[in-house]
Amino acid sequence: MTGPKEHRVKSLAELPEAIEPPRDLWPGIEARLKAQVAVSGTGASPARARLGQLRWLAAAAMVASVAVGVWIGRDVVPLSAPVPNLAQATAPQVTPAQQAAAVDAAFVSDPRYARQRAELLQSLQARLDAMPQPARAKVTASLAAIETAKKDLESALGKDPSNALLQELLINTYQDEMRALTDVHEASDPGRGI
Amino acid sequence: MRISIKLSAALLALSAAPLAIAEKAFDKEVAAEERGVVEVSNTSGMVEISGWDRHEVSVHGDLDDGVERVDVTSEAGRTLIKVVLPGHSFHGGEARLHIKVPKDSELHLTTVSADAIVSGVNGAQRVNAVSGDVTTEIAAGNLELKTVSGDIKIKGHGQPAQLRVTTVSGDVHLEHGAGDLETTTVSGTLVVSLDTARSVHARTTSGDMHFDARMTRGSTFEASTVSGDVNVRASAEGGYAYEVSTFSGDISDCFGGPKAEKGIVGHSLSGSRGEGAGQMRLKTMSGDVQLCDRT
Repeated sequence: MTGPKEHRVKSLAELPEAIEPPRDLWPGIEARLKAQVAVSGTGASPARARLGQLRWLAAAAMVASVAVGVWIGRDVVPLSAPVPNLAQATAPQVTPAQQAAAVDAAFVSDPRYARQRAELLQSLQARLDAMPQPARAKVTASLAAIETAKKDLESALGKDPSNALLQELLINTYQDEMRALTDVHEASDPGRGI
Repeated sequence: MRISIKLSAALLALSAAPLAIAEKAFDKEVAAEERGVVEVSNTSGMVEISGWDRHEVSVHGDLDDGVERVDVTSEAGRTLIKVVLPGHSFHGGEARLHIKVPKDSELHLTTVSADAIVSGVNGAQRVNAVSGDVTTEIAAGNLELKTVSGDIKIKGHGQPAQLRVTTVSGDVHLEHGAGDLETTTVSGTLVVSLDTARSVHARTTSGDMHFDARMTRGSTFEASTVSGDVNVRASAEGGYAYEVSTFSGDISDCFGGPKAEKGIVGHSLSGSRGEGAGQMRLKTMSGDVQLCDRT
């Protein structure tokens, strides 16, 4: 429904080439920019100084959001699962060590994920002990490979936080770790099988 | 006197040793439906299952003393074969089972350390093993196969089926597969040949992948690994658009076009073969990638 006074545009040619703002905005913008330079003292804006942190926040947020998706997909948590607390996942002052842990933190901040992983790890040694020795050696090597992959990916993400390829591979690796831990857990449960 | 007692004890132990590993034979046949379900579980030893034309399930077993009994029941289209160990023990008790089932049966097989060999069974197969190796022959029936450390060998006949193969540390060898393949391993190696594949989704953490595949028109092929190498020789009716990306690995192809583009971080290669009807995506962090469309 359109009002009787509205003019209906039928083609792009009817639109004006430019629309002047009702007042000159530049003086205000210029004043705010100068004020920010004066505050920083170095000429760098606070927004730029926070860019590195924001990149990590973005990377962690992306991984966290996908992680929730992973969880939902695994039926580990119900659809009402809380979103990981990103405020805890990224520190205000991001150091290289914290950078490497930021994505990891996005995962482990989900309490259900952390709880389930902790439970699986707690019983892991007993489950491994229940396996024949050659199988135990192979599985231990696989779990070590996962750990190495996680560290390598986190290290690479520290250099290139917004790299979608690395983020995807890290998510895959987290999924594979849980799958492997779950398989080992269920494999040594004679009543269930894997 | 003390020496003679020790000698007697030693002789007694030696004479008892052969008895401890003595095997007893087990045989049983039950009627079964042509397309029924056969469920088999065995902890350790071996299971050999083959399909035949009779509507019966035949079980022959060689059981060591650690096995309490073998239960074989058949009811309402479902035949159960279960090796029972004393006190539901998880260890010991080897049973070597030779089982014949109606060839169109659906098979559910669970082992712990027992190796499994399946042949001539046309129905769907669901196989779980912990450390046992699994060798199976598939037809048009779907396959869901999962091991922890056991190696997997699958022989197909080019009949399309849904194939889901998962292992933690086992190697996967599939030949003459067809249809839809989803396979995952952490550190095992994937060696796969596909006659006509509609979709492939493969993933490893550190394991290498080797694919030799003929894809159908409009098919999808996705493979990713963290540190494994990826070698794909895949042709497709109607060709495919490809995207290869790696963070620190190398990319090579047999296309003779532009080389992989090196970005600030990582390499990537994309393009199209033929009409670009299908999709090919390969991703690694540090693994090398080789792609070719000549199989």
